[in-house]
Amino acid sequence: MRGVPFSAVVGSEWTKLWSVRSTWWATGVFVLVVGAVGALAAASTDTADRPEVAVQTALIGFGFGQLALLVVGLLTVTAEFASGSAVSTLTAVPRRTRLLLAKTVVVVVWCLLLAVVLAALCFLAARTLTAVPGGVPPTDPAVLRTLGLQAGAAALVGVLGIALGTVLRSTAGAVMVGTALVLVLPPVLALSGPRWAERLAQALPMVRVGQDAFFSVPTSWPVGMAVVAAWAVGAWVLGAVLHERRDV
Amino acid sequence: MLSPVIEVEALTKEYRSRAAVSDLTVTVHPGRVTGFLGPNGSGKTTTMRCVLGLTRPTSGTTRVLGRPYRDLAHPMRRVGALVDPRARHPGRSAYAHLLALARSNALPASRVDDVIELVGLESVAHDRVGGFSLGMGQRLGIAAALLGDPDVLLLDEPVNGLDPEGIRWMRELLRDLADEGRTVLVSSHLMSEMEDTADHLVVLGRGRLLADVPMSDLLGAHSAVRVRSPQAPLLAAALQRAGAAIELQIDGSLRVEGLDTDQVGDVAFLSGVRVHELTQVTASLEAAYLALTGDDVEYRAAAR
Repeated sequence: MRGVPFSAVVGSEWTKLWSVRSTWWATGVFVLVVGAVGALAAASTDTADRPEVAVQTALIGFGFGQLALLVVGLLTVTAEFASGSAVSTLTAVPRRTRLLLAKTVVVVVWCLLLAVVLAALCFLAARTLTAVPGGVPPTDPAVLRTLGLQAGAAALVGVLGIALGTVLRSTAGAVMVGTALVLVLPPVLALSGPRWAERLAQALPMVRVGQDAFFSVPTSWPVGMAVVAAWAVGAWVLGAVLHERRDV
Repeated sequence: MLSPVIEVEALTKEYRSRAAVSDLTVTVHPGRVTGFLGPNGSGKTTTMRCVLGLTRPTSGTTRVLGRPYRDLAHPMRRVGALVDPRARHPGRSAYAHLLALARSNALPASRVDDVIELVGLESVAHDRVGGFSLGMGQRLGIAAALLGDPDVLLLDEPVNGLDPEGIRWMRELLRDLADEGRTVLVSSHLMSEMEDTADHLVVLGRGRLLADVPMSDLLGAHSAVRVRSPQAPLLAAALQRAGAAIELQIDGSLRVEGLDTDQVGDVAFLSGVRVHELTQVTASLEAAYLALTGDDVEYRAAAR
């Protein structure tokens, strides 16, 4: 007999995601913060030199809003351990890495979907509210790259959330560590001055807005995205290894 | 006898220095209700968790249907488990909880409605389970266990929190499932419940196997004959000569071990002793159980 298809496990995780209120609260916060801050930022920026600068200004809400995606990701794991439902889940799907992969697929799709919709809205805000010589064409490669990077960063933050949730198994702990890593430590280190602190800040998975580091030491976008991706994947693999080994 | 469905071999699980289960070897067979009995902390839950792959044994192996639980192709179609009645997200509805479980094993959504009806939770199916009573939680747990129409059921303390009607329902359900040829392993620390439900008993104490016997054997080993006679001393002497162990009860009757009612009656007739009452006393499982586990209770109230 062939086993249960992976798509069934993904379907199950999708059912779990939409059937708890926390998902909708976090999603609401994300939409509100990113949308409102984006509209305000675009409205208060009268002119910009280049179209991607105008778009990046409108995306500024992502800097804080991404924390909501971190929470969506980590809750898919920590809520199971907090409530004890991990027992039901792992009895139904005893292959644990497969389960974690299914959760990751669902969270990545959800984060990408939200980020794409919000990035498109921010783009429209920039296009209508900020004056740029030559306008803000949607086909401009620099604009598209800025928007694409934003969606990618949002998905990676969701993966980092899942990973931290799996390693720490505690909502409070994962929220604290996650916020420290992406939002608190990078600017604190950047402000503290010494050269090594700046290097360290650059090595943290700091939240990114478009091509730029948010309130932290700037890095080029390929380096910044690579750092975030390395943290997300590294923490995920660590989580998967621990998940396989630990008792429930 | 059919081949064993659940096999536990030399299972040991240690938490820090304390051994929850020590070198336990036991098999569970289909077509009957096996009671898994023991005081609190005797290792029942740990054993079940090891069988379900939730807990890694320190040493030893467990198999279900001939293979480790994790290797089952469709876990829920083969094994239904109830390990913790709180094992669900309090903010999710009963329906969504079951739907997510059904989907994870590619079971049709219609099964969710089936099991909700089976356990009688139709009226609260769309309520958040955080507000459920312990009894409703147990019913939901049973519903989840039965979703895949499994061959094997592992239920940890399923009657905990059920009202008398619920307990009777559970007893009949387990009976029916076993009669259909399924394997049913039910743990409990409530001896009275097992007495009415189980065909076979596995008794643990401090993580070790104390007994693995048919229910009737365990009860038989501790049963006796009660006989009341106006000439009790005469009768007692005659019975002792016939090889019985006699104990004088507080109401003046005799408790006779080692002879059955026919033999006691014959001894009385031959000795010319009048008998006013002659009864087979089946030991309560409780008494048999206490006799077995007396020295193996992990947590005991201090004597006062």
